[in-house]
Amino acid sequence: MPVSIQFRQALGKLVLPALILVACGVILLGKADRGLIEKLRMNTADLLAPAYGLVAWPQEKLRWVSGNLQDIRNLEAENIRLRAENTSLRHWYDVAAALADENATLKANLHWIPDNAPTFVSGRVVRDTSGLYARAVLLSLNPDTAVRKGGIALDGAGLVGRVTEVGRRSARVLLITDSSSRLPVTLESSHAAAIMAGDNSALPRIIFYPQDNVPIEGERVVTNGEIESLPAGLPVGHVHYLRPGQPVVVPAADLDHVDMLRVFDYEDSVVPPDAPGRVPLPSGGGTMPLPTHSDQGLHG
Amino acid sequence: MKTFTPPPIRPGIHPRSGLGYRIDHGVRSSVPFLFVFFATLVLSAPLNLPGQVELMPAIIMATIFLWSVFVPALMPSLAVFVLGIWADILSFGPAGVMLLMMLIVHGVALSGRYTLARVNFFVLWLVFGVVMVGVTALQWVLCCALALHIVEFLPFVFETVLAFGSFPVLYVGFVWTYRFVVNNADRA
Repeated sequence: MPVSIQFRQALGKLVLPALILVACGVILLGKADRGLIEKLRMNTADLLAPAYGLVAWPQEKLRWVSGNLQDIRNLEAENIRLRAENTSLRHWYDVAAALADENATLKANLHWIPDNAPTFVSGRVVRDTSGLYARAVLLSLNPDTAVRKGGIALDGAGLVGRVTEVGRRSARVLLITDSSSRLPVTLESSHAAAIMAGDNSALPRIIFYPQDNVPIEGERVVTNGEIESLPAGLPVGHVHYLRPGQPVVVPAADLDHVDMLRVFDYEDSVVPPDAPGRVPLPSGGGTMPLPTHSDQGLHG
Repeated sequence: MKTFTPPPIRPGIHPRSGLGYRIDHGVRSSVPFLFVFFATLVLSAPLNLPGQVELMPAIIMATIFLWSVFVPALMPSLAVFVLGIWADILSFGPAGVMLLMMLIVHGVALSGRYTLARVNFFVLWLVFGVVMVGVTALQWVLCCALALHIVEFLPFVFETVLAFGSFPVLYVGFVWTYRFVVNNADRA
């Protein structure tokens, strides 16, 4: 098409402003329709997940080798420490065995209904998508496994986070340290309920604790069963005071180096019975205290 | 049978045409685009580098700034747009913010290029620093506005400082690429 030079120059000058307008449109679109952007990102992450795994593999081997070398250096001290720990653990083993026996007897006497065993899926963390704004990791999963949004991710030591987006071969786990993470917790010794609020730092804060029952330094923090997808009693960490009046949780899970995660599906583990006058909860984001929950009597 | 073409009157002036030449030329011209594309891809991989998250915008911005000032033909607005979408998809931040930042840096470099291409390197460095401060401040404001609460400020300062510090290295890389890769078609 023959176009005059002036027209073409004018058109060329309009390209950049038009693109900037489109960029503003993309920002608004991202705010209005989060699902679309997230789907796009998860599809890309799905495509790249094998490549990310390939990058992570040599690093893991290297860390393993260097860890081995350090272990060899500290062998003597480690042995002494382990022997001491072993004697103390043997004592605790006896205590635990006695308690388990007693527990079994009591449960048998009370006609206790056991909890359903939750199903879980394990996956390798392929990428830390923590950025300036969020604390999250990307999990590589087998395409055949069913991981649902809202699944609970745990590592060997404690709670890590919750699944927020699910792709075909990967899932994104929002860590408990993220600034949008709010979880109801129970403080084990003071028996107080509180909210653990992440703030993008390594130590999430404890907020909304009762003022006449303040958290005690070093006490264990566990989840409480106030939201349906999160059962009571999962270990989270312990209380630490950064300064007087500012309690934080030191997470039990190693959130700096998450390697393998187990994603548990606790959804619908307790279905409330149908009752006349009961208003059904809206799907997703429904919260309701369940009076029939198993651990209520211990913590409440 | 191959037809005989008479030799040109002034040999060496006309570029060699043909498929091989065009492929060669095309690859050389797309080096800046490909560099930013793969830099974004590599820096989004789990390399566990310290400051990796902040390094990605630093490298992208400096590269786009340099090519937009000196060789805007190889860093057109549309390419910046495509790279911005790519960076946004890979970075899990608020959508579109990186894209807007890249377009603004590109626009500033493009509009001031007749002055900027002639000034001393240190002045150029300073100008880039000022542009980076402005763009990162905009990013912070947008992030706060989109997240509806005040986001921590220090990572953004770190991002600016990192971009400012990595500029000379990228400048050397740019000069080398321009001299020996992009603009070297005749001697290759």
